[in-house]
Amino acid sequence: MLFSSITFLYYFLPAMLLVYFIAPKDFRNAVLVLFSLLFYAWGEPKYVFLMTGTIFAGYFAGLIIGRYRGSKFGKITYLLALFVCLFLLAYFKYADFFIKSFSDATGLSVKLLNIALPIGISFYTFQLISYIIDVYRGDVEAQKDPVKLFAYISMFPQLIAGPIVRYRDIEKTLSERGVSFDSVREGIIRFAMGLGKKVIIANQLAGLCDIVKTTDNNSVLFMWTYAVAAALHIYFDFSGYSDMAIGLGKILGFTFPENFDYPYISGTITEFWRRWHMTLGSWFRDYVYIPMGGSRVGKVRLIFNLFVVWMLTGLWHGAAWNFVLWGLLFAVLLILEKLFFYKSIDKTRVFKHIYVIFIVLISFVIFSGDSLSQIGTQLLDMFGFGGLPLVSEVTIYYLRSYMVIILLGILGATPLVKRLYKWVKGKAPIALVGVLEPIVVIGILLLSTAYLVDGSFNPFLYFRF
Amino acid sequence: MRENWSKITVISVAIVFYGFALLCWFKPADDISEVERRELAKMPELSMDSFAEGSFMDEFEEYAVDQIPFRQGFRTVKAAIGIYALGQLDNNDLYVDEGYIIDMEYPLDVDSVERAADRFTDVYNKYLLDTDVNVYMSIIPDKNYFNDNDVYPIMEYDKMVEIMCENMEYSTYIDIFGELKLEDYYKTDTHWRQEKIISVAEKLGTSMGANIDTEYEQMKVDKTFYGVYYGQMSLPNQGDELYYLTNHTIDDCTVYDYENSRDISMYDMDAATGRDPYEMYLYGPLSLVTITNPNADTGKELIIFRDSFGSSIAPLLATGYSNVTMVDIRYISPEILGNFIEFDNQDVLFLYSTSVLNNSETIK
Repeated sequence: MLFSSITFLYYFLPAMLLVYFIAPKDFRNAVLVLFSLLFYAWGEPKYVFLMTGTIFAGYFAGLIIGRYRGSKFGKITYLLALFVCLFLLAYFKYADFFIKSFSDATGLSVKLLNIALPIGISFYTFQLISYIIDVYRGDVEAQKDPVKLFAYISMFPQLIAGPIVRYRDIEKTLSERGVSFDSVREGIIRFAMGLGKKVIIANQLAGLCDIVKTTDNNSVLFMWTYAVAAALHIYFDFSGYSDMAIGLGKILGFTFPENFDYPYISGTITEFWRRWHMTLGSWFRDYVYIPMGGSRVGKVRLIFNLFVVWMLTGLWHGAAWNFVLWGLLFAVLLILEKLFFYKSIDKTRVFKHIYVIFIVLISFVIFSGDSLSQIGTQLLDMFGFGGLPLVSEVTIYYLRSYMVIILLGILGATPLVKRLYKWVKGKAPIALVGVLEPIVVIGILLLSTAYLVDGSFNPFLYFRF
Repeated sequence: MRENWSKITVISVAIVFYGFALLCWFKPADDISEVERRELAKMPELSMDSFAEGSFMDEFEEYAVDQIPFRQGFRTVKAAIGIYALGQLDNNDLYVDEGYIIDMEYPLDVDSVERAADRFTDVYNKYLLDTDVNVYMSIIPDKNYFNDNDVYPIMEYDKMVEIMCENMEYSTYIDIFGELKLEDYYKTDTHWRQEKIISVAEKLGTSMGANIDTEYEQMKVDKTFYGVYYGQMSLPNQGDELYYLTNHTIDDCTVYDYENSRDISMYDMDAATGRDPYEMYLYGPLSLVTITNPNADTGKELIIFRDSFGSSIAPLLATGYSNVTMVDIRYISPEILGNFIEFDNQDVLFLYSTSVLNNSETIK
């Protein structure tokens, strides 16, 4: 089930919230689990058992690791639990990718397993891994109440698209959480903003990307328009979904970590990754990069560490070579910045932003590509080596038609709107803000509904994660 | 103070949200959408199988979208915001120019056009080759052809004609593009207006050696006609007046519908006030219809392979022939045509709109 669907907005969510707030506090985790299982089963009726089994395995593993921490048995259980999690991820997400790559490389024709990717497996597996590692390290105590662990892993707001929440971040709120009008108000506003970002901006930009990909009348300008639209689409889609998740969390009494912090205003790629998909970045930092030695190693080892981490980051986003290439591109740039030009580029005022935007545009063309050959063609087309005209009649038409949405996207990707909101809030009488706020929220909700009703483009970017 | 304003936000949003959700849950389901001219999804049946297979969920998603309260209002809001606030130049590939809702038929799908020509050639090879029929071909432009505002992309119509002529060398092409202008079409529908295509019928008739009547009485349907684009565009637009032409010859014609084995009339007056008033012309999408003109001063017969545009021009062409048979191979397989028609010494006209040629997957 998508947050940006009529079923979720007007059937699932009101029913869930009603039951959740009517239920006694002690039963709220159970309500959350039941509705989360329904939410997941709605999209993956068969794989709900896989997720349930995985969580149960993680629950018992956590108990054993916690009980026998420091002993050989505890370590074996820990390694076994990690192996099971990684095996499931590898099997369901990467088996066919590895088989196909092997077949392509050797010329052998190995039959694909044709396994459907369970939605959200990358997210819930990573959360479970972080829990198991944290219990093993002694950073958190094993959760004895299976309902609470289920609530943590399967909680529907963050189940299929993140943010990747650490157990330690919500350990206390799983047991005791309060909800106030302030926090619910914050949650409602955040959810509405996310819904608007996803439905009104991201879906339109996805439509534009689709038009460019399928047109027979392409041009160099159209390819650059595509690059901009793809970069904005991915940002608004992803961050919109994170906003909705964080907002829903607030309404339910949880505080989820932030996932995006205006990444397109970054001055370096290092900074970009501090602002983009922050929970994934910190997960890889804490559970892969630092255990490998992090930056406190020799140059060769550092380069190796970064390549491993970024190849895995790329692969996490999808089982295809373009994601590996995408990750490795960032690995190269981060290594170059770390070793050579981070300080010099950071000193520039304008160039650093041009540099980041240029790299990001290229990177998201790679990210959005359907195959390496298509990506190669697209990049050649962008730089005028594909034999395309500079501009075409169709380019002009769609540029004009999508100009406002693209400009809104560019503005919305900067903190300007947030600053403007704060400025208005500071200047305007509180009564006016109090009246306008619900009107704007309801307006966004209804406008998003209108876009969903008219069958607009509503792809789900997270199916491959 | 702050808590109070938070209360106002939360409570007012909750009232609207739950109010609307309750409407979604308890609004009786509608059977059809008049504006969109289609049946709406029904509540799917819940069973273990339908849930396990996921079909219940898929169908429920459709049901939820189709049956949402104020559906048409939401569609209008989306269209208006898209065009007037976000500056989009079309809504669902439709745009309005001088009050005419126009489908942006673009780009040219060469494969589709070639496929259509191949289907027609199959018919030619099976039934017309080695007979003494005269084969003609004509193409009806869609409304986007007349767009001259340099904003909307236009399909390469010349290339479409070229492809059709190259692939149907056995036919004589009759060019009617110059006989038409935007005003000859309905504002809210894809089709041409019967009262505006007398010159087109005359041109076709003359090219095929038939004398088509040019004098008709113009009759008006009382109900305003809102065509198929009106519902798709979802923005307020002036409706159309619907006319039909008649004269003594047309009045005396008899019409036989092979599909339903019945005699029908040239114009279906029930359809004129029904869901799709354009279906008044020869009862709309019928696969095989024959018009017999008892007053014809010629023995000439005409067979038209046609799409829906043919329904409104056929009565006019019938005035110049003793017999006009209309075949819509979107609804009848060409394989069985021989059971109904003997192809011998007739004029055969392939008359298709650019929209159908460019989206020819429906042609059998």
